[in-house]
Amino acid sequence: MTPTVLVVGELQDGHLTGSTLEAIGVARSIGGATVVGFVAGSAAKGTAVEFGRFGVAKAYAAEDARVDSAPTAVTAHLLRPVLESSGASVVLVGGTTFGRDLLGRLAIAWNAAVATGVTELSPVEGGLRVRRPIFGGRATETRRLVAERVGVAIRPHAFPSPTEAAVTCAVEVVATIEIPAPLLAPQRLGVARPAGGSGPSLTDASIVVSGGRGIRGPENFHLVEELAAALGAAVGASRAVTDAGWRPTSFQVGQTGRAVSPQLYIAVGISGAIQHIVGMVSSRTIVAINSDASAPIFKVADYGIVGDLFQILPALTAEVRRARGLS
Amino acid sequence: MEIVVCVKPVPEAETRLRASADGKNLDPESVKFVLAGYDESAVEQALLLKEAVPGSAVHVVSYGPGPRTEEVLRSAIALGCDRATWVESPNDDGAAPGVAARALALAVAPLPHDLVLCGKQAGDDESGIVAAALGELLGVPDFSAVIDLRWDPAAARLKFQRATEAGQETWEAPTPCVVGLQQAWNDPRTAKLPAILKSRKATIAKVPAGAPPPTGPQNLPEKFELPPPRTGAKMVEYQTPEEAAQKLVKLLREEAKVFP
Repeated sequence: MTPTVLVVGELQDGHLTGSTLEAIGVARSIGGATVVGFVAGSAAKGTAVEFGRFGVAKAYAAEDARVDSAPTAVTAHLLRPVLESSGASVVLVGGTTFGRDLLGRLAIAWNAAVATGVTELSPVEGGLRVRRPIFGGRATETRRLVAERVGVAIRPHAFPSPTEAAVTCAVEVVATIEIPAPLLAPQRLGVARPAGGSGPSLTDASIVVSGGRGIRGPENFHLVEELAAALGAAVGASRAVTDAGWRPTSFQVGQTGRAVSPQLYIAVGISGAIQHIVGMVSSRTIVAINSDASAPIFKVADYGIVGDLFQILPALTAEVRRARGLS
Repeated sequence: MEIVVCVKPVPEAETRLRASADGKNLDPESVKFVLAGYDESAVEQALLLKEAVPGSAVHVVSYGPGPRTEEVLRSAIALGCDRATWVESPNDDGAAPGVAARALALAVAPLPHDLVLCGKQAGDDESGIVAAALGELLGVPDFSAVIDLRWDPAAARLKFQRATEAGQETWEAPTPCVVGLQQAWNDPRTAKLPAILKSRKATIAKVPAGAPPPTGPQNLPEKFELPPPRTGAKMVEYQTPEEAAQKLVKLLREEAKVFP
């Protein structure tokens, strides 16, 4: 069987997100699959062409301005006729809030077997086998999704971005359809980008540097930000920091904040409460810098430095800049 | 405002996990079950809204096997929820995403529900799809990763923020809708002893889950694995901060191979 795998594109600033590109890479790695793309929004037609840069020769565009400030349910609704017309049996999405919201809708509306946060995936008779971390990375489960229709959200950074393989992407603009009024009633009024703006977003970043109570005050947080800038990393924080108002809630890594799984996570002045650990323990490599040698963070870290962060951080930032050839 | 809050019993965060005898699932006998972390926030947010909007009531609903499901419902009543419904599942099949949402929707649909709240994801399977699936099943919009949920009586709309990958989004929405909560205004309250004692006698409505469709998507557990125990960090020995920095960069570059 040669399944048709449909990748649903998520947009940021009118471009496909990094998570979407990872999903394209996974779709292309499924042997014998035909990969098609889908994107909805006011500039869908122009954006759909981007699928071609990564080897996807066909994409569907729901050019519909109503999507831009509407809930994800509207995108799921516009996707429905395309799922039928494309003959797709697998839907892949990036493992973001958008991806999970979309799959929740498809689990019901498309009667699909779904899995989120997937780190490994392989075709099996009648469906897909998936592997995914659960319990905040404290366990891993393997499941077999046996269904005519399968939906998978891949975990950010678990798969590489696809290499560019430019092909001409044939874009099919899909007909405008009616959208149930209740789905259009809610309105997104605005988006505040995380402060510090120029770096990667917390969940998209392959490196995250987080600061905790050991930073001692907002006036010292620049030490964390400077190390992050040298590494091209996103900045995170423990709950102690966001509760104290040193940084906005959007920076919080942990159970009540964001779960991250970057290639490299550096915890600075963070003791390692379970609340924080569950949000970062599935990172590939964890570094802890803390003055207290008995801090629980050292139990989950791969590398540890016991010391005064006010001395270690400037030295580390300088060394990183030197090693990366930055002036 | 008629508020329904959906909750799930999950193993306590500090519990040591163990695989079942067939190696396919968590061994439920090995753990202590509590209200899921984000669900605690959802209950807290429901109670805060009840206090803020006169004439409100909170109905807590859970799907799962006994006795743990009944216990988390009683703990929600002890916290201040007014009524409880237990959708009893015949077995431990709650891990298949979609199954729980369908069972919950059957119980929620006949209840008055201006707002359906749940945690944005449960700390066990971490699927995070129940809010969206409930939205689809109930025919209303859904929002996940919600923080700072408020009711604006003048506009008759919910106003809230969402913490998504794009940043902090500001939203407003009429009711009814489903909200997957990330954070309440406050830390979840703890129940007082008299309320706990009283909750033991509270009436819990029991609803059968209904038979699953004979055909349809199957989501079959094959293996439940625990990672090798972490051996603790390799500690960097150093005399000066500069030496510590050099050694760490070398380890990240040559051993871990994660240096950019």
